Amino acid sequence: MTKYIIRRLIGLIPTMLIIITIAFFIVRLAPGGPFDLERALPVQILENIEAKYHLDEPLIKQYGRYMLDVLRGDLGPSYKYQDHDVNFFIHQNLPNSLFLGLVSMSIALVLGMTAGIISALKQNSWPDYLSMSVAVVGISIPLFVVGPVLQYIFAMRLGWLPTSGWITGRYGWVTLIMPAITLSFPYFAYIARLSRASILEVLRSDYIRTARAKGLKGSVVIFKHVLKGASLPVVSYLGPAFSGILVGSVVVETIFRVPGMGQFFVKSALNRDYTLILGTVIVYSVILVIMNFLVDIAYALLDPRISYK
Amino acid sequence: MATKQKQQTLNEFDQPIKGVSLWMDAWRRLKKNRMAIIGLVIVVLYGIISLAAPILPIHSYKKQVIDHQFLPPSFTRTAGELWYERIENQLTAMANKEGRGTLNEDEKAQLREIQQRIETETAVINDETVMVHQRRYVLGTDYLGRDMLARIIYGGQVSIAIGLIGALTAVFIGIVMGSIAGFMGGKIDYIIMRIVDIIYGLPYMMLVIIFMAIFGRNIMNLFFALAIVSWLTVARVVRGQIISLKNAEFVEAARSMGVSTGRIIFRHLVPNTLGVIIVFTTLRIPTFIMLEAFLSFLGLGVSAPFASWGSLIGDAVQGMNLYPWRLFFPALAMSIFLFFMNFLGDGLRDALDPQSKNKL
Repeated sequence: MTKYIIRRLIGLIPTMLIIITIAFFIVRLAPGGPFDLERALPVQILENIEAKYHLDEPLIKQYGRYMLDVLRGDLGPSYKYQDHDVNFFIHQNLPNSLFLGLVSMSIALVLGMTAGIISALKQNSWPDYLSMSVAVVGISIPLFVVGPVLQYIFAMRLGWLPTSGWITGRYGWVTLIMPAITLSFPYFAYIARLSRASILEVLRSDYIRTARAKGLKGSVVIFKHVLKGASLPVVSYLGPAFSGILVGSVVVETIFRVPGMGQFFVKSALNRDYTLILGTVIVYSVILVIMNFLVDIAYALLDPRISYK
Repeated sequence: MATKQKQQTLNEFDQPIKGVSLWMDAWRRLKKNRMAIIGLVIVVLYGIISLAAPILPIHSYKKQVIDHQFLPPSFTRTAGELWYERIENQLTAMANKEGRGTLNEDEKAQLREIQQRIETETAVINDETVMVHQRRYVLGTDYLGRDMLARIIYGGQVSIAIGLIGALTAVFIGIVMGSIAGFMGGKIDYIIMRIVDIIYGLPYMMLVIIFMAIFGRNIMNLFFALAIVSWLTVARVVRGQIISLKNAEFVEAARSMGVSTGRIIFRHLVPNTLGVIIVFTTLRIPTFIMLEAFLSFLGLGVSAPFASWGSLIGDAVQGMNLYPWRLFFPALAMSIFLFFMNFLGDGLRDALDPQSKNKL
């Protein structure tokens, strides 16, 4: 097992290198630069600025320099927000994004599994119909519709919740409610449908019949046998769900003005703030790659049919 | 009694199974699924409306009437009336603020002028002279005084077209790559599948966002960005299908009966993958519409004067407290479409599943 984990960890390195390389060259090969202002700078000044940031060097040399810096953990200075380097933004904003993402993931997982279990065990009852209808809505309505509509109803019309803000602001923890619900809704829906379907399938399988035939109590069969078997598809869905939540957080953070990493994503790309875009991509990819890795490990632990070789 | 029973037993095995084509069989099963049929009707309806948009009696989607900014939706009242009422309300509110009960002469003159313009003013839209203030905006107007109904219909046209073309491109690339990998096997298979694996591992939506932000918003870029990341799953599915079918018993049976390779491929292999491919295309369309809308919402999708559902929703988020119709109608139009498209996709998947052949 340890060997498997170490090999997988080493395998992450080329993935990261590819991601950074692709991002680096997409960003650099495009026309325009971070210092193109409305009013063009005098050539001399522009040259000086570019020399300062080594932007006058050949691209491949810049690439090498950037990679070495990244290896040292230095993501460079921001080109637009002078006086700040990228590490500062990450340090300041990443915890908020991570917190929102983890809360949303937990909501989606706990509520989704619960809804799936209830629906599967009480098939064709009203809780089943209710949760499956909600799930269909969650799958077909994108979160940038859900977010503004929730905001309109609960903040602007009913006034129950603040329109935007963050837990460190004056409204405190209630600001977390709408972003977390919005972000978790589609994944709640998928997980509910997935767990319902897989529980129904497992319930029909032979080993469950055997367990019942042995005279095991119903609750033991459900919790020890059914759920373990049925959680495999859900676990394998967690990887895509994490990446969806990361991307979705870009939108949710924009809608609810959450001070996270997502807000820099589009802004810095439009600004050609090379280091900030790359830094954001690197951070997101590291999170994504680590999450996928953890999901794979969890999968291997849950499913005895998967060997670690 | 005994003979009857015997007959029944016989019948169970001897029942002549009517030979039905894949499509007849699928259609028969699809018809049984009420939600899928409703989905089909709604999707076809959307398609007809989008295609017929130029001949529908709707206003121009790009004509800006600056006096008609942010008019609320109304069936019965004309744009002129709503506009007049708004100006009147504004002036009255101002007068009240200054402590006057009535409007002064200047303001009355202003209102008279507006009244005059409402009655006489014309504008040339699409080579036609129309009484511009006599228009009715059933779904209201946006921040440039453009008709929301027309923008939603034309936005739907763009969204559905992107969904359709995007899905077809993805499926086409996927089929080519997947069948090459599946048929050839060996090194080629290995290389293609490793490429797929690597792209799978990338946070590709982020790369798409960066790509769109850097290379500019333009429909071709959008297609390109979405197409390069979306063929992966199709390629995997097609490859899997082809590999599993290549050695399936019915192919062997066909071969043993002397059926030619071409006929095996086109009569046996392709129809069997076709179901999966069609289902995939249908299920991909909503995904593409959502992706495009996602990018447009961030301001990275289609650019003015075009609209898509996503860009309409994105525009509407600003000021939705005052002008909620700008958010709700496009959101509703899009959600209904995606909702029923999903039902149709699920229905097709059930209907085209070869496992359920001749079952009802």
